[in-house]
Amino acid sequence: MTRESSSSAPSKEERKSSHGFRREVRYGIHLLRKNPIVLLGSIVALGSIVLSLSSGLVVDQNSWKTTHIALRLCWNNPIVNWNLRNVYDCAGPTTYTLGTDNYGRDVFRMIILAIPLDLRISLEIVLSAVLIGTVFGGIAAYAGGTLDELILRLTDIFLAIPSLLLAIVLATILGRTLENLTLSVLITWWPTYVRLMRSQVLTEKEKPYVEALRAVGAGRFRILFRHIVPNSIYPILVQGTLDIGSVILTFSALTFIGFSPSPLIPELGNLVNQGIEFVFTAPWLIIFPGLTIFIVSLGFNLLGDGIRDIFDPRLRR
Amino acid sequence: MVFVLLGVTLIVFYLGRGLLPPESALAPYITPRMNDGTKLQLARSLGVATISCPSWSALASHESVCLVPIWGQYLSWLGNVLAGNWGYSLLPGLSGTQTTWYVFWLRFPYTAELAVAGTILTALVAIPLGIISATRNNRLPDHISRFISLGGYSVPAFWFGLILQLLFVLYIRVGGNALLPSNGVLDTSCALCLSSPGQVTGYTGTPILDALLSLNPAYFWDSLVALALPTLTLAITSIGALTRILRSSMMEVLKQDYILLARSKGLKERVVIYRHALKNAVLPSITITGLLFALLLGGVVIVEVVFSWPGVGAASVVASTVVDVNFLELYVLVTAFIIVLTNLLVDIIYAKLDPRIRY
Repeated sequence: MTRESSSSAPSKEERKSSHGFRREVRYGIHLLRKNPIVLLGSIVALGSIVLSLSSGLVVDQNSWKTTHIALRLCWNNPIVNWNLRNVYDCAGPTTYTLGTDNYGRDVFRMIILAIPLDLRISLEIVLSAVLIGTVFGGIAAYAGGTLDELILRLTDIFLAIPSLLLAIVLATILGRTLENLTLSVLITWWPTYVRLMRSQVLTEKEKPYVEALRAVGAGRFRILFRHIVPNSIYPILVQGTLDIGSVILTFSALTFIGFSPSPLIPELGNLVNQGIEFVFTAPWLIIFPGLTIFIVSLGFNLLGDGIRDIFDPRLRR
Repeated sequence: MVFVLLGVTLIVFYLGRGLLPPESALAPYITPRMNDGTKLQLARSLGVATISCPSWSALASHESVCLVPIWGQYLSWLGNVLAGNWGYSLLPGLSGTQTTWYVFWLRFPYTAELAVAGTILTALVAIPLGIISATRNNRLPDHISRFISLGGYSVPAFWFGLILQLLFVLYIRVGGNALLPSNGVLDTSCALCLSSPGQVTGYTGTPILDALLSLNPAYFWDSLVALALPTLTLAITSIGALTRILRSSMMEVLKQDYILLARSKGLKERVVIYRHALKNAVLPSITITGLLFALLLGGVVIVEVVFSWPGVGAASVVASTVVDVNFLELYVLVTAFIIVLTNLLVDIIYAKLDPRIRY
């Protein structure tokens, strides 16, 4: 790709490589068409990203701070009849598509505000974990010896503690802010990437081109980060895409069990937590935010699955 | 193995003691009736304050003469931990009356019961799903099983649990009564307040085993029913991972030459799949199942909160709100120990099952 952009008149060989790239894309589209579920997932995942970028245009960013006690826990969407006694009907002309919560806020708007927050935190965690994994995993595998052993044992230690439990302990001690919660989940997440990158680099560094690079006198860091890492990063990126969904699950689980900094914050797990008291009187409070987590996380899992199918040479024709 | 456990104690110690002020380590031991002199003695005996520390107020204001270097604190902490000296519980209602150790082991059997039931259900569902998925690759059963496993992988456990409660308590009713109890386990001490007749003796602390051992079928049935929804919630999130592993290893095995040979001998497809392929494909799943049990031990927190299960997971959330570091530390250390032990066991079983592996 970089070679293509560097010269204006493509040579024969370069045209072939760009043809190869186009074939790759066409193969990807072919796979998508063959597996409509993956296509659906990709649409959901991309849709949630687009929604995150544009949520400020749809909903006022500060609307979660204002509460309307008169409108609490009411439902006036005629499409769904909950078949419950004592469902409070919202007075007034506005229809609240997904009802209102305990603070009289529109649940639909809260979900629209919550998706970007969860997605941003999840991306922060996954990207940092990928970065840490790439650097430490790469160095461990390439350097070998004591350093490798040390980094490997460190990941062993972290993997011996269940991630949610470690996150709970960390959040307890650090205090309940969104930054600390992000950090808590990140600390439980990086070891997997170190392991993955290490195993990739271990096979990659035995290849002849690495020996050739060493023979022409390329520096160690140059070989590792300019040549080996770009060649072994695909499985890590696939894992990263899959993990965006899992991180949203873990993070929202953490806020669900009560680690949210404030009960008002529009965060999907916290929204469910706020509804738990009213499970049997206002079920929409837990159904819709939870459903959103499920759909977004499923979307990214399907997308990751699809990307893996595209890049996995064993599944090729 | 020992190295990993020592590493875990280091992390646990640093998180609990290194990041918090020294007096907080004493909180579980201090009762309201203690005067400053006894508090200081306590701090000295726990290795939190130096011998030359003049007074309790000097320690509280962090004067350098009182502060013990962090490694010294670690060593005395480790000594206390290995001796089983975990201080008193800070959990509401129990504060200062019962030891953390006792409170933890009182609740742990419930968590273990849930984790074991979850693992069994996961294996029971995931193994057939994985086999179907691999043998009918890219056809309708495969798509369905893929969808179930991916769905289970992406569903938030807390939401799934709440939806189950909603369904079974509000909407699915048999003769006006809820089909299954939404929450709460049957407390052994409360055996008399239930419909089930007879007494149950607390041999193990787990309701199901106790009911079996005291030959009380009604209590056994009740505790089995109470276990149903939490187990389903716990299993649904882990079925996906196990199904995927089994599917890919099964597909790998089905491509092997000896499967082709078995088929060309004219063996029935059933025999080929269950006798020849499955035995080889199931090996990676054993690793995963072992890990699964260990992970579920830590992951039950959410399920326990949702179903108000009286296990250590739900208690750890309460412990976190009252900053009962001792309880959390004990929980982390016990699970880490079990995880490390399970890994070892899995390795041993693996070597027994697969004669190609020699250590």
